[in-house]
Amino acid sequence: MARMAMAQEKLFALRREIAKIEGNLPERFAAPEAGAGSEAVLRHYGRLASGAGFSVTGAPRLDSALGGGIPRAALTEVSGRATRDSGAVCGFALALAAIVSRTGAGAQSARPILWICLGDMLSEAGFPYAPGLGSFFGLAPDKLLLARAGRLEDALWAAEEAARLGSFSATVLELRGNPAKLDLTATRRLHLRAREAAQPVLLIRHSAEPEPTAAPTRLLVSPAPSSLREALAGPLPRSIGPPAFAATLSKSRTGKDGTFVLDWNSHDFAFQERWPAGERRIVRESGREAQNPGHLAAASFNGPDSAPAARTRLALRPERRRAG
Amino acid sequence: MVSCRQNNAQRIVALDERAEDLGLKPGMGIADARAMYPDLEVVEADPDRDQLLLESLADWCDRFTPLVALDGRDGLFLDISGCAHLFGGENAMLAEILRRLTHQGFDVRAALASNPGMAWAAARYAKGDCNVSPGQEETALAPMPLAALRLEEKTRVGLESVGLRHVGALIGAPRAPLARRFGRKLVTRLDQALGVVEEAITPRLPVAPLSAERQLAEPIGTREEIEQLVLILARTLRQDLERRGEGARRLLLSLFRVDGTVSRIAVGTSRPQREPLTVAKLFHERFSALEGSLDPGYGFDLVRLSVTVTAPFEVEQTDLAEGPACEKEEFSLLADRIRARLGEGAVLVPVLAESHLPERRARFVPFGKEVAGKEATGPAEKIRPIRLLEKPEPVEASAEVPEGPPLSFRWRRALYRVARAEGPERLASEWWREDEPGPTRDYFRVEDMEGRRYWLYREGLYGEKTAPRWFLHGIFP
Repeated sequence: MARMAMAQEKLFALRREIAKIEGNLPERFAAPEAGAGSEAVLRHYGRLASGAGFSVTGAPRLDSALGGGIPRAALTEVSGRATRDSGAVCGFALALAAIVSRTGAGAQSARPILWICLGDMLSEAGFPYAPGLGSFFGLAPDKLLLARAGRLEDALWAAEEAARLGSFSATVLELRGNPAKLDLTATRRLHLRAREAAQPVLLIRHSAEPEPTAAPTRLLVSPAPSSLREALAGPLPRSIGPPAFAATLSKSRTGKDGTFVLDWNSHDFAFQERWPAGERRIVRESGREAQNPGHLAAASFNGPDSAPAARTRLALRPERRRAG
Repeated sequence: MVSCRQNNAQRIVALDERAEDLGLKPGMGIADARAMYPDLEVVEADPDRDQLLLESLADWCDRFTPLVALDGRDGLFLDISGCAHLFGGENAMLAEILRRLTHQGFDVRAALASNPGMAWAAARYAKGDCNVSPGQEETALAPMPLAALRLEEKTRVGLESVGLRHVGALIGAPRAPLARRFGRKLVTRLDQALGVVEEAITPRLPVAPLSAERQLAEPIGTREEIEQLVLILARTLRQDLERRGEGARRLLLSLFRVDGTVSRIAVGTSRPQREPLTVAKLFHERFSALEGSLDPGYGFDLVRLSVTVTAPFEVEQTDLAEGPACEKEEFSLLADRIRARLGEGAVLVPVLAESHLPERRARFVPFGKEVAGKEATGPAEKIRPIRLLEKPEPVEASAEVPEGPPLSFRWRRALYRVARAEGPERLASEWWREDEPGPTRDYFRVEDMEGRRYWLYREGLYGEKTAPRWFLHGIFP
């Protein structure tokens, strides 16, 4: 019994030690309430580890699983199972970039994003399209720099240099598959650079198998059926609502994981979680609608009918939330 | 030992001294020569390779003067005005050039004169002294054969047929009849050789506005040494750039190898630069990219850094606190470094244009080349994808009703079943831009069963001559 207790003690001490190295208080594991652990001062590599280096994503369950939000000064991996999911994977990464760039230091002087594409990703998944990026993620055309690299070494070099510069709001590195050179060392280098410059580096990996990574956060993203577009008279049948993602947290600082179905609110730049039950309801609803011959012709979008609906939704939402 | 060429018959076009001693002459048939000396060694002529060799030689001559011009198939003009003192005077320079070329195994003849025509003649036909000082042209030219005047074959034969065999005979002869009989060209050539008429040479490479170079007694070969030298040269250049109030937009580093090969490495900058450290950094990236392909051989003994494109340098007052201007500087520097390493056109920025066609609305231009035009503003942006395929990809789609959204489509061999669709949004082609307007497109936003959202369009309308076709154009988050 006493030996068990001793072993427990030792284990806790070791955990504490590891957490110290990783710049994370063990208390954090329990995801404390805001302000609870803020007196604790942690140092690593001579730098003050700020406890506030997180950006709240807007989905409380995801935030608590992430230990406070998306880390601002770290490498974050966003991967997808297949290349055909590229829209959702890219969209999720850009959403994270949008969240981070709006909450971090220097948020006022909107800084550009450097997007590094490796190899044939541009022909495979298309070029980033400025009008869409602007309307979905608030990314102005002059705030995007696109770099294309032929070799992984060059792409990693560019990402490291950009992260070291620390003047971008985020560095996005997009690639496909599991290149052998993108190993623990390479991701660790990226992570260290990101941490030193207090600037996020997002690693987008299409059709990648999960493999060891130095990134403290890894999310597996796949597309999710979107909710219906909200109109004044309720949800518009058979319409396609805001971008929706199914994100699985496969690695996080807190050690928690889980799957979250998230809707992207491009007006507030925040995620909204859809509860699994709600998701089922929507799917069933849309399925039923599909069988209804009354709605065979699709609802026109941006015509005289739906365009005002999309705008009114912005103003109405907070009120409704208060009412509910 | 004899090179030769197909000219309906194999003939000698060039030969070395030993063959000359045997009594062989250019123009002689190979068969005849073989009959006289059966053990002749004959090499097929290769004019293209000869030209390449001459060009590489011209590259090498760049070390003496930036003004090097090719002269036909077998000659080079070097304009050494203002350069001779760097090599200890004209005669010393000539001797140096000859010595180096002879060491490389070339049989060279060179002459020095105040105009190209005279130098050409002296290099080929002068006996003894090859240095013709200004004013001595007439005496030097007089005993030379007419070929020294760079005349056409016909003119030369014509002149010789009337007994004029030396240039001296022409100099004394009355001008007008000569010009009337043999054309103005003859007189011009004569005047050019005498230095009465200016003649310009056409340099192979544009002369850089600024350059700095370093001759090395001991050749260098390692990357660190070269980078160190680039830094030193860039420091020299900075003073010149400051004096001119300019910055460099493009820099060229010429590395002259001991054995005559010249490597040129260029870097571009998106805004005028003059900071030596910046320049050195850009070349550092370039060297990283070139890794392996730059062969130092026995080392480089001359390194030259030239500014090929300059632009006015605007000095900006920076804030004590680092402001946006400072950041912009950082971005362009990083972009330049990425470009130096990944190649020109590796860094792109989107530019919006006034158009309702999606592919024209936004396009990518290389960083630094974007024109600061007016921001294209239009009506509120409609729902647009975040990624647009470079070229719309044809898909096989089936629709429930002719004008309606697709029920399912096959893209890149995978079948997608459409759960929901929004549309159509009809976009007509821009008839005011194209001579032949393309078909009208009906765009649909579709979501498949798993929740992937795509932007599809149907090209053409039902009831027209060609059946409508479906394309996938964009991807939504």
